[in-house]
Amino acid sequence: MSANSAFVRQASAILAKDLKTEWRAREVFTSMFVFTVLVVVVFQFTIGSNPALIREVAAGVLWVALLFATVIGLQRAVQMEGEEDCLQGVLLAVQDRSALFLAKALANMIYLVVVSGCILPLFALWFRVDLTASLPALGVILGLGIVGLSVLGTLFSLIVLNIRMREVMLPLLFLPVSVPLLIAAVYATDDLIDGRTLAGVRDYLILMGVFDVVFLVLALLIFDYVVEE
Amino acid sequence: MVRLDGVTKRFGASLALQGVNLQLETGKCLGLVGPNGAGKTTLLKILSTLTAPSNGTVTIAGYDASRAAERIRPLLGVLSHRTFLYGHLTAFENLHFYGRMLGVVHLAERIRAVLETVGLEAVTRQLVRTYSRGMQQRLAIARAILHHPRLLLLDEPYNALDQQAAARLQELLRQLCTEGRTVIISTHDLARGFELCDEIAIQRRGKIVHHVSTSQDTLHSFSQLYSHHVG
Repeated sequence: MSANSAFVRQASAILAKDLKTEWRAREVFTSMFVFTVLVVVVFQFTIGSNPALIREVAAGVLWVALLFATVIGLQRAVQMEGEEDCLQGVLLAVQDRSALFLAKALANMIYLVVVSGCILPLFALWFRVDLTASLPALGVILGLGIVGLSVLGTLFSLIVLNIRMREVMLPLLFLPVSVPLLIAAVYATDDLIDGRTLAGVRDYLILMGVFDVVFLVLALLIFDYVVEE
Repeated sequence: MVRLDGVTKRFGASLALQGVNLQLETGKCLGLVGPNGAGKTTLLKILSTLTAPSNGTVTIAGYDASRAAERIRPLLGVLSHRTFLYGHLTAFENLHFYGRMLGVVHLAERIRAVLETVGLEAVTRQLVRTYSRGMQQRLAIARAILHHPRLLLLDEPYNALDQQAAARLQELLRQLCTEGRTVIISTHDLARGFELCDEIAIQRRGKIVHHVSTSQDTLHSFSQLYSHHVG
C-alpha cells in the first residue's frame, strides 16, 4: 500500500471518528454555538440602539465571537482526546503524523463552518446588517478566516495538551498570534458590509491567505515535535 | 527482538531510568515486576516510542527507535494504564477506527474474532462509556492485539479484571507467546507473571536489579528474592 493511500486512509479515519464522536456528544458544537450567541447578544445589549455605532462594530463583534468560540471548541475537543489518553493511541497507529494534524484541523474547520452558518442569520438580524448581497464574498472571507483559526488553533491545542493549566495556556498562545488574521478579517468584513466587492478587499484577502499558508506549512513542519513527549 | 543499551530517562531533576540494559529474543515473554515508581511504565513508554530516552539506544526488530520509530510502531500492540478508547463510540466502532488506522485486512471479521477472544461479543454495539472498568480493560486488550502485533507491551494488564477475565487474559497471553509473539508485561502479580513469562526482571529505582529465566527458578525463591530487593 502506498504512503499516499495510507495517509488518506488514516486522515479520513481520524476525521470520521471525530465527526461521529461529536455527532453523538455534541459537546464541541454546543459550547461553541452557545458561546457565540452569548457574545453577540451581550455586545448587542452593551452597544445600545445607536444604528451607526451598531453598524461600526458589527464586523468586529462577529469575528471576536468566532475567535473565542474557536478557543472554547478547541478546549473541549482537546479534552475529549485527552480522556483515556486517546491521542497516544492515535499516535501509535498513525504513520505520518501530518495526517493527524490535517484531520484535526479539518474537523475544527467543519465545526466553525457550522457555527458560522448558524450565527450569521442571528447576527444579521440583531445587528441590522443586510448580508444577502455580500453573502458569497463574505463566504470567501469566512473561509479564509476559518482555515487560519483552525490551523493555528489545532496546532496550539495539541501543544498545550500535556501542559498544566492548558485552559489558560491555549488562549495565551493562540489569541496574540491570531491578531493579524483577525484584523484583516474584521476590516475585510467591515468593507463588505459597507458595500465593497471582493476586489476592493483584495489586500486583506492576500494577508489572510498568506497567514493561512504560512501557518499550515509551519504546523506540518513542526507537528512531529509538538506531539513528542 | 528488543535491545536496550544504557537507557536513561530524566524528568527534570529526577531519574526515572538509570542505564537499563535489556535483551529479549523473538517469541519470548518478559515480566517486569517492581514497586510503584520503579520505572516500569517509563520503560514501556520508551519501548512504545511514545517517549524518547534521555540517553542510550533502543532497538526493536532491528530498527533504532530514535531514527525509525514510524517503522516500529505498526509492530507494537500497547496496553497502557489508560485504555486509548473513545467513550462516545461503541466497542465495534473503536476497534474499526484503530483497525482502519493500522490497515487491518478483513477488518469486520477480525474485530468479531478479538471481541470474542476477550468475551465482549454480546456488547459490541454499546457505547464504551457505559462499560464497567473491567470491560473497558478487556476492550483495550482487544485493541492492542487487533493488528497481530509482533511485540506486545502490556502495562498492568490484570488491572480492573475479575478472576475469570484475568484467567482468560492469562490464557490469551500464553497463546500469543506460543504463536511466536514477543511480550513484555509489567505486573504486580508475581504469581501470574512468573507462571506466564519465560524471563522475569525486578526493577527498582529505575534499574533492573535482577533478571532471571523462570525455568531456572521457582516462584517461592523468586518471591523471596523480590522481597529482598524491594522490601
